[in-house]
Amino acid sequence: MITRKIITTALVLMPFFVFSQGSIGSFTGDESNLYAQTKQVNQFFRRFNGEEDVTGKRFYQGDAGYRDIKMRKKYLGILFDNNGPVNNDVRDAFVLEVTSKSAPRYLDFHGDKWFAEVNAVFTYKKERQNVILYLRLEHENLGYKWVISNVYFPPWEQFFPHVTDTVNQTYFLHPMSHELDFMNIHKAFDNPQNVDYYLEKNYRPDMLTLFIEGVKTGDLKFQSVSNVKFHFFQVPHWYFEVSYFNRNSMNSGWLISNMVRITDAEQKEIIRNYTHDE
Amino acid sequence: MKKTIGIFFVLILIGSGLAAQDPGDNLSPQRKQAIDSLALEKVRDLSKYISIIGDKKTQWSEAQRVIERAVELFMPNSEIGVSSLSRPDVSYFQVREYFDRLMQLNYDKVTIDWYKIQYVSDLERQPDGTYVGVITIFQRFQGFDAEKGLVYEDTTKKDITVYVKRKETQIGGRLIGFWDVLLGDIRVKETSK
Repeated sequence: MITRKIITTALVLMPFFVFSQGSIGSFTGDESNLYAQTKQVNQFFRRFNGEEDVTGKRFYQGDAGYRDIKMRKKYLGILFDNNGPVNNDVRDAFVLEVTSKSAPRYLDFHGDKWFAEVNAVFTYKKERQNVILYLRLEHENLGYKWVISNVYFPPWEQFFPHVTDTVNQTYFLHPMSHELDFMNIHKAFDNPQNVDYYLEKNYRPDMLTLFIEGVKTGDLKFQSVSNVKFHFFQVPHWYFEVSYFNRNSMNSGWLISNMVRITDAEQKEIIRNYTHDE
Repeated sequence: MKKTIGIFFVLILIGSGLAAQDPGDNLSPQRKQAIDSLALEKVRDLSKYISIIGDKKTQWSEAQRVIERAVELFMPNSEIGVSSLSRPDVSYFQVREYFDRLMQLNYDKVTIDWYKIQYVSDLERQPDGTYVGVITIFQRFQGFDAEKGLVYEDTTKKDITVYVKRKETQIGGRLIGFWDVLLGDIRVKETSK
């Protein structure tokens, strides 16, 4: 099976060995892996959509070859991590759907439903910690910008162990508390560990607020970005993840590292979790 | 001098006809290609300067002069973020600091080769209307010791930010629009051996 994938990749990218698209340097070594590599996320979009030729030259609407179905099928075949968890049945079904003649699916850089996940290193109260930041593109004035839409920081989970709990029979304010001017409200604060029992059931912690507070007070200090990946929900009923594979092989660069068929409801829930969109 | 005139000529060519174009319009494919050429010219200059700065045969005064030229290619406050296979955390350097460190590397001989491949992204507009793109190039670096020979070698992928801004200048009383290209942050990542 792996042999088949290698042969397919080589056939798709055969022209790389013949043409040279560059002119910066004069290095005379073998560059075939670098040509094959999906070098930028931008190239992932173009290859996915069939919007560039094998040398990386952009196709525009009206050009021969623009979004050509045959070319797309070949490109899509090489956009998967060959060592990843996506099996051939899933891969084939996805490729068939997005290259359908009647309703082909394309990725849209400016469209919503795709997000970046940035694994960053911060110091939190002087200790090195990993923080996950979710970013999405937002339109503003004449162009676009990436904005932080959510954050995940495991140490803050400890603050909310009882959110969503519905079986507690002890920690609540009885329904006539208002008649006593809520004189009993101190019970919510007597034991700080239990304060989250007193929250409304639909409350979901907003880690982004805590994050901003942490950065502004100096508790959280940025150190470095350690890893980036992208989550795509632009193809109906599919979710896929794109990650960077730094390896000396034709199957390298930005590739699909995971893919799952999902329902509309699942998609909405996952997107809500990433972005806090209601 | 010849090159300066050449670049200016390209600016004029790219600028011609702009008066009739709404700056809010998307770039046509032809204009994009012309801007790509200008951006690649800057990247080519940068790669040439890096080779000269890194070359141990380059005199200190000459290296300083080239560093000045190299810094002029960049937007102010541009940074270079470097990671390696052994140190995946990104280390940040100001452009001048990066060139100074390159000049001072402790090898007897340094060879810097550039791969022929390059990849030019689309240009996207940021909120202030400036277009931003990324050009990817690859570099092979070899450091030699006088006695031991080759002691260090790596290949790095350089993702170079390119800013493209519409500007205007007066020539002979006429207002000529042109696209100015400056380099921005660079991400330098060691590629797997």
